[in-house]
Amino acid sequence: MYFRPTTIDEAIGALASQGGRILAGGTDFFATQGDRPVLGPVLDISAIDALKGIRVEADQIRIGACATWSEVIAADLPPAFDALKAAAAEVGGWQIQNLGTIAGNLCNASPAADGVPPLLALDAAIELAGPAGTRRLPLDQFILGPRRTALAPGEMVVAILVPRRFEDARSHFMKLGGRRYLVISIVMVAAQVALDLQGRVAGARVAVGSCSAVACRLPALERALLGVAAGAGLAGLVRTEHLAPLRPIDDVRATALYRLEAAQTLIGRALDACLSEPAHA
Amino acid sequence: MIPITTASRVDGRLKVTGGARYAAEFAPAQDNVLHAVLVQSTIAAGRVASIDTARAKQVPGVVAIMTHENAPRIDLGKAGDMTPGFPLLQDDRVMFNGQHLAVAIATSFEAAQQAAQLVELHYNRDEATLLMSDNPTGTSVPQRFRNGMRPPASTRGTPQASFDAAAVKIDQIYRTPIEHHNPMEPHATLAEWQGDRLLVHNASQSVFGNRKALAGFFGLPEDNVRIVSPFVGGGFGSKGVSWPHITLAAMAAKLVGQPVKLVLTRRQMFTSNGYRPKTVQHVRLGADRDGRLTAVLHDGISQNSAYGEFSEPVGLASEMLYSCPNVAVTHRLSKVNQGLPTFMRAPGEASGVYALESAMDELAWALGMDPIELRLKNYADRDEHEDKPFSSKTLRACYEQGAAAFDWKRRVAQPRSMRDGRLLIGLGMATATYPVNRSEAAAKVRLQADGTAIVRCGSQDIGTGTYTVMAQLVGEHLGLPLDRVRAELGDTALPQAPVSGGSQSVASISPAIREACLAVRAQTLQLAAGDPASPLHGLDPEELDVADGRILQSAEKSRGETYQALLARQGRAAIEADGSAKPGEEKQKFSMHSFGAQFVEVAVDPDLGEVRVRRHVGAFAAGRIMNAKTGRSQMIGGIVFGMGMALTEATEVDPRSGRVTNATMADYLVPVHLDVPEIEVIMVAEQDDAVNPLGAKGIGELPTVGTAAAIANAVYHATGQRIRDLPIRPDKLIDGLSI
Repeated sequence: MYFRPTTIDEAIGALASQGGRILAGGTDFFATQGDRPVLGPVLDISAIDALKGIRVEADQIRIGACATWSEVIAADLPPAFDALKAAAAEVGGWQIQNLGTIAGNLCNASPAADGVPPLLALDAAIELAGPAGTRRLPLDQFILGPRRTALAPGEMVVAILVPRRFEDARSHFMKLGGRRYLVISIVMVAAQVALDLQGRVAGARVAVGSCSAVACRLPALERALLGVAAGAGLAGLVRTEHLAPLRPIDDVRATALYRLEAAQTLIGRALDACLSEPAHA
Repeated sequence: MIPITTASRVDGRLKVTGGARYAAEFAPAQDNVLHAVLVQSTIAAGRVASIDTARAKQVPGVVAIMTHENAPRIDLGKAGDMTPGFPLLQDDRVMFNGQHLAVAIATSFEAAQQAAQLVELHYNRDEATLLMSDNPTGTSVPQRFRNGMRPPASTRGTPQASFDAAAVKIDQIYRTPIEHHNPMEPHATLAEWQGDRLLVHNASQSVFGNRKALAGFFGLPEDNVRIVSPFVGGGFGSKGVSWPHITLAAMAAKLVGQPVKLVLTRRQMFTSNGYRPKTVQHVRLGADRDGRLTAVLHDGISQNSAYGEFSEPVGLASEMLYSCPNVAVTHRLSKVNQGLPTFMRAPGEASGVYALESAMDELAWALGMDPIELRLKNYADRDEHEDKPFSSKTLRACYEQGAAAFDWKRRVAQPRSMRDGRLLIGLGMATATYPVNRSEAAAKVRLQADGTAIVRCGSQDIGTGTYTVMAQLVGEHLGLPLDRVRAELGDTALPQAPVSGGSQSVASISPAIREACLAVRAQTLQLAAGDPASPLHGLDPEELDVADGRILQSAEKSRGETYQALLARQGRAAIEADGSAKPGEEKQKFSMHSFGAQFVEVAVDPDLGEVRVRRHVGAFAAGRIMNAKTGRSQMIGGIVFGMGMALTEATEVDPRSGRVTNATMADYLVPVHLDVPEIEVIMVAEQDDAVNPLGAKGIGELPTVGTAAAIANAVYHATGQRIRDLPIRPDKLIDGLSI
């Protein structure tokens, strides 16, 4: 059964009556499918206008559930989104970026999802719609584990919401993989730094992916950076104990030990890159 | 000598516009094709206790589930020595994880997929050896090394004693992992029976090899089997022998009495069509203080399957690459419960020269000698293993021209002494070598009344440019522009040609095409000279030439006529001739090899261990280059292949189940565009009148050889870390670097 509604209500109704797997860009859907045929109902949400596009609202930026990586790259967004744009540019080739959606990346809940660290650093929240109405969850409460989210039966993601709090902060994304491009990350880091007029850190947000079951922020590091004069760079301030939330594993891509060491290096570089790079043109 | 051309691929337009048809894109004349999907073993050793196909058969559209219980019986004895005779559903044995155990056949691909998922297999498990050890014991001697053509071990002089007595020694073990070919086009077969005749469209590097295999399996005369393979999306050796899925498709078609199409999935291409086996290589070099080699010992162990035999000939280059009186080479096998390995681009040389040329770099460092100087000091002017002169060897010029283009002299000898900001810079080099192969081939050339020509030869174009070279040869010999020549290949209905492997296609088929062309040309000139109505009447054919689609007088080029005019007057539809050619005495008289020199600059991030190749210069001497444009492209491709071997490619096997864990293009990392820097290819001029009538030595594999060693040597120069275990991944490198 294949259903392609044009409104959110129709989609929710279909989920309630027949259930089904949600299909947006399909770039994870079909890859996960592997060599198996598609069985069971499919709910294609790509014709729902209300889920499309990226909108700047009064107090938040709304990224619709069907917004693609390419749309993020092309959108006119503040410098705090540079990390997200850089991550978007690393997700597959252009064909994948034209089809794949950021919301789908979150729903797929891979520990190596490229979209998650930048959105964690942006304090993003997820808007969900279901039979009981609409609710909102912070991103770190939406992704619960590898391939596991807080989506309740009958619910779907409607949008990603980013508060307009840190718009002037500089941000940077760094990804390390076994080859230069088109690769699943060994480690990735999103960093965001806002300076006050004296050049001291007014706010820092750092998130690391591929080093724990779910990408996570590093609150101890963020606290340690607050108020620091950034003139001499920030990389030297990253300490091993700041990485305590990370729980990397050994796998075919790299050893756990290597991941930790690389994460520390990349965090330092991403932070310093926030200081030196001009805002996105 | 015919000038080197730079013609673009004659099939380029078809390919970029989607007009080239690959095996899976063909359909039988009647719209009655069925789709087959393989069911694979989930254990690595044992027997199939029972198969329950009841649920699978209930899927709408399913026609049959073929298992060892109902599969047609075939003759395993006559398919040829090179053809894997397992797993072909003839018995209940399970020898590796991923082995084909059943085939679901249905009216749609999706139904076959679903049915394949529902086939229930029950096993009696046996103890399995899942992985080849890094330090294998219980190894065995190959029984049919190089298809029985060479002994698996050789010795000259007193290698052990000379090594023991050597003033300077290198004694190291080098390891290379399992690698998979991963051509972009998946293997695909469409099999169709017409009575006792079998028509097969197949993604193939050897249509005649496929024909022999299928005729043997099904007990048919070879003429009853036709294999068609006009376009192949890469093979790299994986489409060389007749892998079981080809036969299974034909068996399935026979079982159900309808045409059957079977396309391997990417995942299945890690278990169904061979791989470059893991190797553990012990290399010992002894030298005097001046850097003269006094002993070379190369002991190679390669992974083999629990059935069949394939031995990676890692030591053959060590026998002849350098001048040394005391050399010993051995090859042994380590059996594991995995599929049968096979030829993969530069089989033997790619892995073996990585080890030898890494060891030579280690020796140069131990001696405090420049790596090129060490190689020149031990330059072999004749093949000391075969005790024959080389038909040609221009390696010295490869070193010189490569070093000059690369600016090797800027290299500061001390490791870790060159930097670019925080990056460590390293320069490395290695030698490349690959033997010249050639087999018998035949061709047919037809000059037609409309002034066009057709050249027919049952070779294959696996992306290498065979179509183009075939058309070019006819163009050159009959004086026709390329757009007036049509090349036909990839079909056993055409004159016989060998497997597209061992870099031999051009060397094998070109002499045959040339002979056919010369015969057509001679007939044509004779006709013109003997035709009273021809402006060339009365002239000696010796005085005539062809150019621009015309026959003309050599001394008076305006005097002549077109092919069309001549054939029309003669009332001839065409002038046609056959040609054939086979190797002569040259192999008895000469040692025949191509050579080259690889130069690499790497940048290593000392904090992350990431290695980036920044520049690559390859200088190759491979006789006549038939087409500088396609040749250059092929050489660049060969170098990129070696880059993957050096830095990213390895097939990972789960130590608990024996299953390949990275059987996708996302996890098996071949280089992507951003990994590949500017690659400069230098074609070093070389004339070789002995190898074959055209003097072309073959270029498909040579550029892969030495690339991994040059990169590993550059990484050592950058970091002081010697990685003797490919690929050089960041986590292997980081341990020894400052953090």
